Amino acid sequence: MPTCKECIHFFPREENPETGDCVQRVVDPRQAYHKARPVGAEKDAAECASFEKK
Amino acid sequence: MAEPATLEDKKEKKIKAHEEKQEWWWIAEKRRSRRLDYLRKAVWKKGALGGNYAPGIKLDLEGPTLFTDMWKRNHTDPIMLRRAKALAHLLDNIPIFITDKAQLVGYMGSLPHTLAWRVDGASIVNEEAYNEPGIHEEPEAESLKTVAELNAYWAGQTAIDKVARILDPEDAVKFLSGAIGWGAPTSAYGYSAKNYEYFMTGERAFEDIIDEIDANIEKAEEKTIGTPGPDILPLYDRIHNWEAMKIVLEAGIRYANRYARLARIVAESFESDPKRKEELLRLAETCERVPAKTPRNLQESLQYDFFVQIISRHEAHEGAWPSRPDYYHGPYYDKDVNIEKNITREEALDLIGEFMIRTYEVGGFGPRWAREGLQGITGTWVWTIGGVKPDGSDACNDMTIALMHAARLVRVANPTLSFRWHPKVSDEVMREIFECNRQGLGYPNLRNDPILVANAMHWHGHPIEEARLWMNQACLSPCPPTKHGQQPMRMASATANCAKIVEYALHNGYDHVVSMQMGPKTGDARKFTDFEQLFEAWVKQMEWIFNTLVRTVNLGRFKDPEFFGRPFLSAISERSVESGLDIVSPVGDRGNSWITAFTFVENIDSLAAVKKLVFDDRKYTMDQLITALEANWEGYEEMRLDFVKGAPKWGNDEDYVDDIMLRCLRECARHSKVIKDPSGNNWPILPENVSGNIHYANIVNALPNGRRLGDALYDGGISPGPGLDKKGPTAVLKSCAKIDHVTHGRAFLLNQRLSPTQLAGEKGYQLWKAYVKTWADLGIDHIQFNVVSDETLYAAQRDPEKYSEVIVRVAGYSAHFVDISRKTQDNIIQRTVQGLG
Amino acid sequence: MKCTECGHEAESGSFRYLYNARIDASVSLRQCPSCQEWLAVDELKSEVRQKVRPGEAPWGKSAGIEGLAEDV
Repeated sequence: MPTCKECIHFFPREENPETGDCVQRVVDPRQAYHKARPVGAEKDAAECASFEKK
Repeated sequence: MAEPATLEDKKEKKIKAHEEKQEWWWIAEKRRSRRLDYLRKAVWKKGALGGNYAPGIKLDLEGPTLFTDMWKRNHTDPIMLRRAKALAHLLDNIPIFITDKAQLVGYMGSLPHTLAWRVDGASIVNEEAYNEPGIHEEPEAESLKTVAELNAYWAGQTAIDKVARILDPEDAVKFLSGAIGWGAPTSAYGYSAKNYEYFMTGERAFEDIIDEIDANIEKAEEKTIGTPGPDILPLYDRIHNWEAMKIVLEAGIRYANRYARLARIVAESFESDPKRKEELLRLAETCERVPAKTPRNLQESLQYDFFVQIISRHEAHEGAWPSRPDYYHGPYYDKDVNIEKNITREEALDLIGEFMIRTYEVGGFGPRWAREGLQGITGTWVWTIGGVKPDGSDACNDMTIALMHAARLVRVANPTLSFRWHPKVSDEVMREIFECNRQGLGYPNLRNDPILVANAMHWHGHPIEEARLWMNQACLSPCPPTKHGQQPMRMASATANCAKIVEYALHNGYDHVVSMQMGPKTGDARKFTDFEQLFEAWVKQMEWIFNTLVRTVNLGRFKDPEFFGRPFLSAISERSVESGLDIVSPVGDRGNSWITAFTFVENIDSLAAVKKLVFDDRKYTMDQLITALEANWEGYEEMRLDFVKGAPKWGNDEDYVDDIMLRCLRECARHSKVIKDPSGNNWPILPENVSGNIHYANIVNALPNGRRLGDALYDGGISPGPGLDKKGPTAVLKSCAKIDHVTHGRAFLLNQRLSPTQLAGEKGYQLWKAYVKTWADLGIDHIQFNVVSDETLYAAQRDPEKYSEVIVRVAGYSAHFVDISRKTQDNIIQRTVQGLG
Repeated sequence: MKCTECGHEAESGSFRYLYNARIDASVSLRQCPSCQEWLAVDELKSEVRQKVRPGEAPWGKSAGIEGLAEDV
C-alpha cells in the first residue's frame, strides 16, 4: 500500500519526519497558488488522486 | 522628423482618453503594478450578486469539520477551553495556500474559492447552507452528506439555539420574524471592535501576552491553594479562561509558522525565479516573526494585523472590520519608506494594495436576509483614517495618503475608507480624498471629528483621550480601541426596521404583511382626530420596537460567555488578559451600544403628509387614508401622488417637516437614556441602512409618504428620498444641520450624489472643498458621495460585463454596481444628482 | 390594461407590482401574468407604456443637474 512519504508532494518536517505537509500547485480559473495540508508520513495514499511516486 | 512615441507616451495617451470617458477602472489597470494587477484579478468575489453567490464559490467544509471533530472530543471542558482547543486544532490542520506574487498570507476558509461557514452560530443558518444551490463542492452528494452530518450534530447546540430557548417566547418570535429587526444576538455573528491600543502599538505581541497570562495564572494558582474564602472561588474558572487564551495564542503562532514553512518549501522546491525566491524567503521570515513578536517593518506590521483578523474570523463570523490602518501602520511606513529607505514608495504601495485585496477576498457564508441587506459584499469593512491623536493634533501621515492612492489602484468595493475630518487637515490630504471620490470609489466618506468626539463623550462617557482614538466599529459608529472602550460584540444587532413604527401606529400595532399583532394596540387610527394622537401612538410603537430588540440583544450579550466563548478575542484584549474573564462579559466594558435605525426618514415624511393633508388641510380623512393604505394604493394613484407632492418632504430646508424630524429624534434620544445595555450605558440610535432599504421593500407596507409594498425604501440615514430633495444640496445640508449631531443620536448617514462632469479639474476641487466646508461648519457628522453619471449606470445595466468594475456607494458601504439587484440599481440611479456652487 | 408584448388584457391589479423607483412619478414596473415581461405602467391611466429592458429608464433622468457640463 503506498503511503504519503513515498509521494513527491510530501515534505517531511525536519524535527519530526513522521509528519509533514502535502504541498501541491493549483491553477484555478482565477489564480495560481501553492497549497499545503498536514499529513502523516505513513498515511495510506492508495485512494489519493494526487499521489505521484517519488 | 518627429520622435516616435514611446510606449510610455502611448500609455499616457490611452489613460487620457479613459479619463475623458470617466473609465477609472481602465486607468487603474494601466497604472498599477503587475503584481497588484494579478492579485486584483485573482480574487474570488465572495459578495452575493443580488443575493446569490457567484459561480465557482463553494462552501468550505474543512474548517467546520476540523472544528467539530475536536469540539466533540472535549465535551467535558468549560466552553472557553473547549472552543480554544477546537480553534487550535483548526489552525493546526486547515489547508493553507500562498497565491503567486503574494507578499501577505492568511485566509478565512481553506482555499481561495471557499466560503467560510460558522457551523456553531445558528441552526437556521446551517439549514440555509444545506439548501443553498450551487455552493457545494463536487461530488455534491458527498458534500451534502457532510453538511447534513454537521447540521445534525449542531442542531439545538448553536449559540442562537441556546439564546432562543431562554428568551421570552414572544420576544423570540418577534425578533426572529424578520419584520422589525435585523441581526443575531450572539458574538458568533456580528462583529467585534479590537483593543488595538493593547496589541498593535509595538509594545507587545503574542509571546509577550503569553508571558502576561502565565504570570496571572501563577498568581491565581498560588491563591487557589492558599487560604480558602469567597475571593478565590472565581479564580478557578478564570484559570481555565487564561489557559484557553494561551492555547489560541500558541496556535496562532504555529499557524503563522505553517505559512513560513510553506513559503520556504515553495522557494526551495518549486520556484525558479530568483526574485520571487527572495520574496518567498522574506515572507517566511515575516511569518516567523509575527504574530509571535512585534513587527519591525511595514510588511510585518500589515501581516501581524492580518493574522489577527484571520484568526478572529476562524473564531467567529466577524461581519465588520474596525481598523485604523494609517494610525497603527503609519510609523512602520515612515520608517521603511522615509527614514531607513528600506523600500520605495511603489514597493510600499504594492504591500498596501495587497493588504486591501487580501481583505476584499475574505468572506463567510451568510443567510439570505443578511446577503440582501449587504448586497455585493460579505460585511462592512470600513477602515478609519485621518483624525487626531489623543492630544488633539493631526494624525494624518504618509500612510493616510498611500492608502488612498492604493485604493485608486486596486479599486476594491471592500474595504472602504472613512476619513475623520478636522479643521487642521492639509490640502494635500483633502485633494486625495477628492480624487478618490471623483474617480467613483464612493469613499472615503467624511466624518466630522470634533462632533463625533463630543458625541462619544456625551452618549457613553468615553474620556476625551480615548474618544479621540475612535474608529468605525462597522459602517458608522465610533468606538475607542481601548481597554474599557472596546466593544466585543455587535450590540447593534438591535437593528430596527423603523418604518414599522409609523406602520404600526397607523394599524393599531398590527402587521398586515406578516399577519400578526406585533406592536402594542395604540388605537384605531381611523378614529384619530388630531395629529398628537398619531404622534403619541408613534412614540409608543417606537419604545416597544426598541425595547424588544434591546432586551434580546442584552440577553444574548449577557449569556454569550456561557453560550459561545471567545478565547482568541479575549487573548488580545487587555481587560480579559488582566481579569481572566471572557471579553464578551460586560464586566469592565464601559458600553458603546447603539440601535442601527434602518428606514427612519419614512416616518418623518409619512407623519408630515398625514399632518398636512388630513389634520391641517382636511383634504382627506384618516378613514380614507387607512383604506387606501390597506389597498396598497391600488386604485388610489391620484391620492397617492397628492401624499407625495402635496406635503413637504425632508431634505428641503422646510421647518414643517424638519420639525417633525427633530421631534421624533428627541423622543428617540429620550428613550435611548431609559433603555440600558448590560454595562448600564445608553442605547442611542444611528440612522443608516446598508441595503436594508431593498431587503425590507417587501416587508414594509404602504405608507403615507406614498410608498407601496414592494418599493425600495429610502437609501437611509437622514438622506432624503430619491428625487424628493428638490431645492439643491445646501437645502439638504440645512435640513440635516437642524439635527443636533451630538445629542440626538450616535451618528447620521447622509448620501449625496454629485456630477462627475462638474467635479472635473481644479474648479471641481474648489467647488467640492467649499461644499465640504459648509458641511463641516454646519456641524453635520457624516457625508458620502456617489460620483457617477446616469449614462454610465444605464450602460452598466445593459452591458454588465463591460462595466463590471463600476463601484457605487450603496449606503454605509460600497459595492460593484453589477453585483447589486436591479431594484437596488434603479434606486441608486434615482438619487438626486446635486449641483454644487 | 393590455400588455404591449403579448396582448394579455386584465385588471391592472392582476399585473404583479414590482416597484416604483421614483415615488413622485406615477410610472411603476409591473409584470405581465401571461408573458412575465417587465412593463412600465402609467398608474394614473392604468396603461402599459412599454416593455422595460436593462438599461432603460422608464422614470427618465434622475432629478438634479445630471448632464450639465462645466468648463474645466
